[in-house]
Amino acid sequence: MSTVRASARWIRADLRARRGQAILTVLAVAGIVTALITSATLLEDGTNPWRRLFAQTKGAHVWIHTEDAPAVAALSRLPGVEQVAGPYRTAPVTLVLDGKKSPVALREAAVQPPRVAAPLVREGRWLRPGDAGGVVVERSFAQAVGLRVGGPFPVTALSGASHPLVVVGLADSADQGFYPEWTPGLAWTLPATLAAIEPAQGRSESVTGLRLSDGEDTLPAVHGAVTLLDEQVQRMSTWREVRASMELDNRLLGLLLALFGAAGLVAAALALANATGGRVLTQTRDIATLKSLGYTRGQVFAVLVTEHGALGLLGIALGLACGRLVTTFTLDGLPILPLSPVPLLAITGGTAAVVLVAVALPAWRGGRTPPIPAAPAAPPRGRLSRLARLALLVRLPPALVLGTRDAFTRRTPAVLSVVGLAVPMMMITIGLGCWATLDDFLRHPERVGQAAALTVHPGRLPADEAARLARADRDVAAVYPGAEVSALEPEQTRSVLARALGTSAEPYPFSVAEGRMFAARGEAVAGQGLLDLLGAEIGDRVRMTVGGTPLIVHIVGRVVEPEHDGEVLSLGIDSLAAKDAVPPQFYGLVLRQGADPEAVRARLLAASGEALEVRQAVNPAERLAVIRVVIVALTVVLALLALANLLTASALGLRDHALDLAVLKAMGLTPRQVAATLVTGTGLLVVLGVTAGTAVGASVVAGLIDLQGHTSGVGAGIGRTPSALTLATAAGTAIGAALLVAVIPARRAARAQVPVTAR
Amino acid sequence: MSREAGGGRRRAADESGTDPVERGERPARDERPAERVRSGERPMRADPVVATVNLVKIYQNGGVPVPAVRGVDLRVERGEFVAIMGPSGSGKSTLVHMLGGLDPRTSGEIWLDGKRADTLGESAWALLRRKKIGFVFQFFNLVANMTVADNVELPALLAGASPREARERRERLLDALGLTGRADAAPAQLAGGEQQRVALARALANRPSLLLADEPTGNLDSRNTRDVLKLLGEVHRDGQTIIMVTHDARVASLADRVVSLLDGQIVDDGAVAAPRRRPKGTAGDVVELRG
Repeated sequence: MSTVRASARWIRADLRARRGQAILTVLAVAGIVTALITSATLLEDGTNPWRRLFAQTKGAHVWIHTEDAPAVAALSRLPGVEQVAGPYRTAPVTLVLDGKKSPVALREAAVQPPRVAAPLVREGRWLRPGDAGGVVVERSFAQAVGLRVGGPFPVTALSGASHPLVVVGLADSADQGFYPEWTPGLAWTLPATLAAIEPAQGRSESVTGLRLSDGEDTLPAVHGAVTLLDEQVQRMSTWREVRASMELDNRLLGLLLALFGAAGLVAAALALANATGGRVLTQTRDIATLKSLGYTRGQVFAVLVTEHGALGLLGIALGLACGRLVTTFTLDGLPILPLSPVPLLAITGGTAAVVLVAVALPAWRGGRTPPIPAAPAAPPRGRLSRLARLALLVRLPPALVLGTRDAFTRRTPAVLSVVGLAVPMMMITIGLGCWATLDDFLRHPERVGQAAALTVHPGRLPADEAARLARADRDVAAVYPGAEVSALEPEQTRSVLARALGTSAEPYPFSVAEGRMFAARGEAVAGQGLLDLLGAEIGDRVRMTVGGTPLIVHIVGRVVEPEHDGEVLSLGIDSLAAKDAVPPQFYGLVLRQGADPEAVRARLLAASGEALEVRQAVNPAERLAVIRVVIVALTVVLALLALANLLTASALGLRDHALDLAVLKAMGLTPRQVAATLVTGTGLLVVLGVTAGTAVGASVVAGLIDLQGHTSGVGAGIGRTPSALTLATAAGTAIGAALLVAVIPARRAARAQVPVTAR
Repeated sequence: MSREAGGGRRRAADESGTDPVERGERPARDERPAERVRSGERPMRADPVVATVNLVKIYQNGGVPVPAVRGVDLRVERGEFVAIMGPSGSGKSTLVHMLGGLDPRTSGEIWLDGKRADTLGESAWALLRRKKIGFVFQFFNLVANMTVADNVELPALLAGASPREARERRERLLDALGLTGRADAAPAQLAGGEQQRVALARALANRPSLLLADEPTGNLDSRNTRDVLKLLGEVHRDGQTIIMVTHDARVASLADRVVSLLDGQIVDDGAVAAPRRRPKGTAGDVVELRG
């Protein structure tokens, strides 16, 4: 094409003339892509640790449990099998710690970690030749039962003999899911130790892992193994089951990220469209000249799309690289796997499409520029607006009035600028709302159904004694007896958690969002997730099987329920059958205002001689801490986008009024007043955009978070609007920064000698 | 103004003046402008560069039709230098814009080099402009971000010349217009007269068969006006067909022929009677022409 060379020169010259703006565009798009990739990676990693663990441990796709050691050579010849781990001899033992029994699979392991499915030591060290009584424990299991490196690991073998082992290390593994979703817990020890604990071969099993060349295709290997080993196979597991058991509930986080990502993209599209549109307007004369030289409409369109689209695509490429760097290096040095290809492609493709559409619209308008370049394109001029006349009437400074009038001489760019600033500001406000909601979770856990900071399980003591000890503590305000049983919903297909806490006469302070608290036997409150699951409404009577006993439950209210996707039925302990309720399984402890749960826990443990089992509640906000990182990152990117918009608005204002400047000076305005006029013109748009964005954001944030809460089962009633002070500070900072940015070009323009003639 | 590059200019003009391909591909048409049925003369005389038949342009201004050009029949032969004169609002700029396809006509016919052009679409006009029409505007309209060299090379590249060819052409033109030293300057660094000379170089870069100049001296002082006019004269002597819009009789007197427009109609069309190099234009001439 003959126009390519000419167009290339034109683009090069244009980019050279507006280097700063071009770089800002690239950075804004790169920022969005980086933020999207980082958050998606965090989300994927945080909610699905299996992928990382599997890659790091070079895990096996299929695990086969057999009675005796299978023929490794035959297994390795199965279709798709790349490598074989084991076979490892594994003996079932019971960990007895503080009177609590937990099932453990004690597996033999060599001093030299295997090449496939090697456990990843996180704390302590791996086994050494002299570790006669040493074990390395799988980390989730260790956390669940409270094991530390150097701590005791007393196990009882099937024979009944006890063996005092010692924990030498904690390791991660992708061999099986997390405890307690996946039992028994896993621990590794030297073959000699294992032989000493369980000498009988018949009471142990053999575990073999198969690493496949194509992990997606497990069937041939599974079928092959079943055919080969036949009766020997006791059970099998594939990586899919392991992954499923490791996955956390990520709907809330996913929704939040999707919302931010979508809004970020919209803001980026607006910024790009505004920048391109502004550039096209500034270049009307040049474009007309090009057309008079023989550019067709389509060619002008192509040139503009190429130039501005290339900036966007460059931004995407840079963003991909930055996202990779950020996720690889800067996240606390955590080894995090890069994003899997599907979300990566979706982000890249989605952003590219948004960029091209955002650029194509103004470019199309640019292509329709009439080819007569004679008349300098002037903004539409009109009478003073009512607002301006009113301003003059009340004797406002002239700079303010003129600037106000200038702000709206071009309607479309003015509206684009306002919206372009309002959208990022709205998102920032929503981000602040999320932040405030998280803070509220932490400050008032009772509002998210976590009034009890501690739960006390009687452990080795009788339940009454545990309750007495708890009540005796000076910081404990109330003690509620509780029990957790599983409940079957009417169709008996899904089991949900039924949590009895407090009595009907003295109910636990659940956070009731709708309806009322239960007050009689047979009444209950439910989380949003359970209501959705049952298709029930408040006031309905539902037949459920609670703890094996049929019960007609009258649902009288909805509570905010952060656990188990909100699929929890809460009722008084007196509604349960006596076998489940007496004695209570645990006690929920509500502390006095300002009490430190850690201190109370320590005191209770000391008072009971370590006999009680005291757990601290995990605040849902702590699990959502990653949202804060996302909020900060996206706020930075959104600010960048707003800046891009602002520069466009400022450049356009300068261009439209360059000729007026000479007139203003001739009228007797000082350079300072001229600069003030220009700043007012841009600043008014900023104030409008920021105010509108903050207002809209503040009015929708609580509703949005509640909506997310609803869909994630937690239920509405958790959303908080950021405080008025926070909002005012945010808006003030935004406006102040914007005015500062606008002042620089305005001052320069006001000082410059402006030609009176047309260009 | 340099005269030493006259040879180069002449060569350029010769090539554009007799384009064998152009004449060879001209189809025998039976629908021709009425006044042009002189088929016998064809081997002797080429088609006019421009011919218009009853050309009309009516703008719509808020639903009210405003006629700008009302039935213009104009015929410009190869090598002619025509000045179009008239007071403000007489439709002279509109006429020239229509001839270059910048503005679509309302009715009537436009023939360029023996081919009908008024029926062309916007893109076809653009392609035609690349090869056949050079424009010079009152406000120069150089692309501000590009250097002088790039501005002049742009049309050549657009027409498909190789970068080397475009560079050679640009060097020759800038040399001929006395701007060799300013090739790497930005347009804003040049004086008005220099900018207009660059614009002229750009317009001539593709050896157009028609040069359209819309008030080329309207924004220049008298000294620069003289320089630019002198250049136009030289280009014309080398065989370039020029149509120039001006409201200045002194400027128009440089042309072979002056067409006067009033309210969108031709009121006078005649060769400039006085010899080209008369010592001084008398005040009477000016008064007569303006009247």
